[in-house]
Amino acid sequence: MEPRLTGIDRREALAYLGWRGGPVPEELDVALTRCQTLLMETVRPRAVWRLLDIRPDGALGDTGFVPAGESIRAHLAGCDQVILMGATLGAESERLLRRAQVEDMARAVVLDACAGAAIENVCDNLCADLAAALAPRHLTGRFSPGYGDMPLCQQEMLCQVLDVGRRIGVSLSPGGLMIPQKSVTALIGVADTPRTKGPGGCPSCDRRDSCTIRKEGGSCGGR
Amino acid sequence: MAAGEFIILDGAMGTMLQAAGLPVGQCPESWNIEQPEKVAAVHRAYVQAGTRLVCANTFGANRYKLARSGYAPGQVIAAGIGLARQAVGPDVRVALDVGPIGQLLEPLGTLSFEEAYDVYREMVTAGETAGADLVFFETMSDLAELKAAVLAAKENIALPVWASMTFEATGRTFLGATVPAMALTLSGLGVDAMGFNCSLGPRELLPLMEELRRWTDSPLILKPNAGLPDPATGAYTVTPEAFADELAQAAALGVTALGGCCGTTPEFIRALVTALAGKHPAEREKKSLFGVCSAVRTVPLDGDVHLIGERINPTGKKRFQQALREGDMGYIQQRAIEQQDAGAEILDINVGLPGIDEPEMMERVVKAVQAVTDLPLQIDSSDPAAIEAGLRAVNGRAIVNSVNGEADVLDAVLPLCKKYGAAVVGLTMDKGGIPRTAEERVEIARRILDAALAHGLAREDVLIDCLTLTVSAQQEQAAETLKALRYVRGQMGLHTVLGVSNISFGLPQREKVTVSFLTQAMVAGLDLPIADPNRSAVMDAVAAFRVLSGADRDSAAYIERYADVPAAAPPAGPDRTMTLGDAIAKGLKEETAALTEKALETMTELEIVDQLLIPALDRVGERYERQEIFLPQLISAANAACEGFEIVKRRITEKGAGSISRGKIVLATVQGDIHDIGKNIVRVVLENYGYTVIDLGRDVPPERIVEAAIREDVRLVGLSALMTTTVGSMARTIEALRASGHDCKVMVGGAVLTPEYARQIGADYYARDAKQSADIAREVLG
Repeated sequence: MEPRLTGIDRREALAYLGWRGGPVPEELDVALTRCQTLLMETVRPRAVWRLLDIRPDGALGDTGFVPAGESIRAHLAGCDQVILMGATLGAESERLLRRAQVEDMARAVVLDACAGAAIENVCDNLCADLAAALAPRHLTGRFSPGYGDMPLCQQEMLCQVLDVGRRIGVSLSPGGLMIPQKSVTALIGVADTPRTKGPGGCPSCDRRDSCTIRKEGGSCGGR
Repeated sequence: MAAGEFIILDGAMGTMLQAAGLPVGQCPESWNIEQPEKVAAVHRAYVQAGTRLVCANTFGANRYKLARSGYAPGQVIAAGIGLARQAVGPDVRVALDVGPIGQLLEPLGTLSFEEAYDVYREMVTAGETAGADLVFFETMSDLAELKAAVLAAKENIALPVWASMTFEATGRTFLGATVPAMALTLSGLGVDAMGFNCSLGPRELLPLMEELRRWTDSPLILKPNAGLPDPATGAYTVTPEAFADELAQAAALGVTALGGCCGTTPEFIRALVTALAGKHPAEREKKSLFGVCSAVRTVPLDGDVHLIGERINPTGKKRFQQALREGDMGYIQQRAIEQQDAGAEILDINVGLPGIDEPEMMERVVKAVQAVTDLPLQIDSSDPAAIEAGLRAVNGRAIVNSVNGEADVLDAVLPLCKKYGAAVVGLTMDKGGIPRTAEERVEIARRILDAALAHGLAREDVLIDCLTLTVSAQQEQAAETLKALRYVRGQMGLHTVLGVSNISFGLPQREKVTVSFLTQAMVAGLDLPIADPNRSAVMDAVAAFRVLSGADRDSAAYIERYADVPAAAPPAGPDRTMTLGDAIAKGLKEETAALTEKALETMTELEIVDQLLIPALDRVGERYERQEIFLPQLISAANAACEGFEIVKRRITEKGAGSISRGKIVLATVQGDIHDIGKNIVRVVLENYGYTVIDLGRDVPPERIVEAAIREDVRLVGLSALMTTTVGSMARTIEALRASGHDCKVMVGGAVLTPEYARQIGADYYARDAKQSADIAREVLG
């Protein structure tokens, strides 16, 4: 189950750039294509995951990690196992983004938007692979520290359990933020029956805080 | 390390302790104090299995990882070394084991090289005091971090230093470091042994070891994982015997120190001892490859031509001098990127300018350039302090430019080259100036070579510059330079450097003479020309020469270089109807520049700014607000306008008049936050509106922002935060600014902020986007 970047969703990248439908200016269209190509050629996504039992006391396997908060409890309701996952676009993407910001900020914002869509693609592919591997069991959507009332400080424990430093080259800043920035950690519930509430929706979106559509009172409708 | 014998190392520690009951998330090192007997039991088990050198349980005993344990590094290290020594007895060596800090270094992360150095200094001095036999840095993936570690050891303690990095199967570390770069850098720093550990099994690491041995003569270490883990459970499934059989093949590569990493146990070490019985590490040939490198890119010194870009140098360049005086790293970074894109393989860095603190500036520029390019660097200075500052900051193996035949220069600079493992350029001149004859120059080259060898440098690392003189002034000297070059390369077999641009000074159509001289010099044996890669004729000459010399196999590089060049496209004529406003709106930099030049014929500088550039930007801003265009186009327009501002600025500088800055603004991404693209966008837009931006970067503590606001006497401070968790830090910064009594307005922005929240934390303005920040700047500063 190798981590795969199979495509970069233009509509998603455009949404990050503030596009709300309507015609896409030609220069932007060209820039998007260039950035897509560059990322597809340069980025080597990496991922790590663990499948753990949910113990009666809420702890995951023998890790001593107990996800905190009502939101994650609700997310994992009815699940007896959980997948912890970490994925990153790696230092290559980080370097591209840093360099682009010096070279041409206009290109940098397009590249940043495309990289955002790229890491989502990597996560989606990993989840699809995991779902296939674990079938006929069912997977919930991804839920990350910082969503709902799950404290962001649990990121540190999650990263320790996954050993992300050694396994995929992700480190945490003193403030608990991941470097490379285009990295995701998440919990995915595993259950015998499909979850009635599907994945997606603003509360479980990792762009919840930074989403301008949401700030303006709208929703992207799960794309 | 004794030749001819293996040194059997130990296996994993962390997983052994977890098996003994250590909870995940607790520092394994804390058990040195809380459960010393359990740690000692692991050491004893390895020694019983055959280990002759144990790594103490000190891998993560640094001040960052121990922060919440309640223990200090010195305490944990003293306990760890002490208990290991007691457990293993007198015949087994004890290494201070040191892993990565766990924080990423600049430029990708936020930890400074100096702080990393200090973290390691604290550890290694504690280790030496506690009686460790050697220091073993392992599981490193950042070559810069490893350099900080090795320097901390070399400069503060007397113990042997071993260094091991962790690679992916692609032959790179997570941060992109390559095997040759590791070998060149670590050999240069003088480590006592080097190798690989962790991340992969023996089978995957053997091919990398095959490569490593060709780039270094250091003793080799190999500590693989027990194969690859099952992703679901994290468990390793390779048997001890299979592991040992594979690892034993490393003996044939001349590897001397062998052990295991994640997933290995005393059983694996026992099996390894069995598998190695009767074997000896194979004799190794002397290394065959030389070169210079950044962490991720190596330029071999192989006789092929590799161009050194000369453009990072203030000599005779007003705009570059201004960038140095203003600390404008962005401008210098762009010169670096430009040269890399044009085909330079090494970048010369010269920051010598009267009134500039050269060592401090050298360090800053080296770090800035490394943040945006991955080319090896050449530190160009005559000041030993500046050379050392540059060499320290370099990630990789650099060239020092330069020494000459004078004894005091050789004595001052060569020890620095030795200490930091740099190659060195030797100019064939001395107190008597530049000799007139080739023979005399060769004589000086010999002197430089002898001195370099005496200081411990390798012959391959002495690069001789036979010096170019201006042909319009001393015509016969061109032939002498070429003659000396032929001798130094042909007879002495040394690599040669030569700055060629100077040849044509004072002549019309300079490029023709420069390129012809470059070609003749390459024929004479020049392999490291210093020139301006942005001149396509220069790069054309190199490309053609490499075809004719046979270095460019099947002319592949040549064909690729010209693949996209249309046969003879007619030059596109200027669009006569285009206005400056149109050019800006379309983000056309060259047209904006040309139209600004034209406007200067009839308008004053200030008129152009107020009547053309700013109104054009305003129109673009309005379209952005109406969502007719998007952020990338807003920035493109701002960038194009910047070309116009640059021309106006240059004109004003030339006249020696004041500046056209519309005022100064301090910008920062607040402490704890590393997401700075938003702040960088605002900076570009504000600069292009004519404001002077003092950009303090990311993760900036409140006191630095206050200090900068007061020192620069700014009336507007812009703060950015992306995460909910860092908005608190923004509030603290505003509080500190108010408490300082400095009279300034504060604007805030960032994804999670709202106008209400901005008010609540005491900001004067909330900026929804970059455009609005420019509106605010106009309101505050005019």
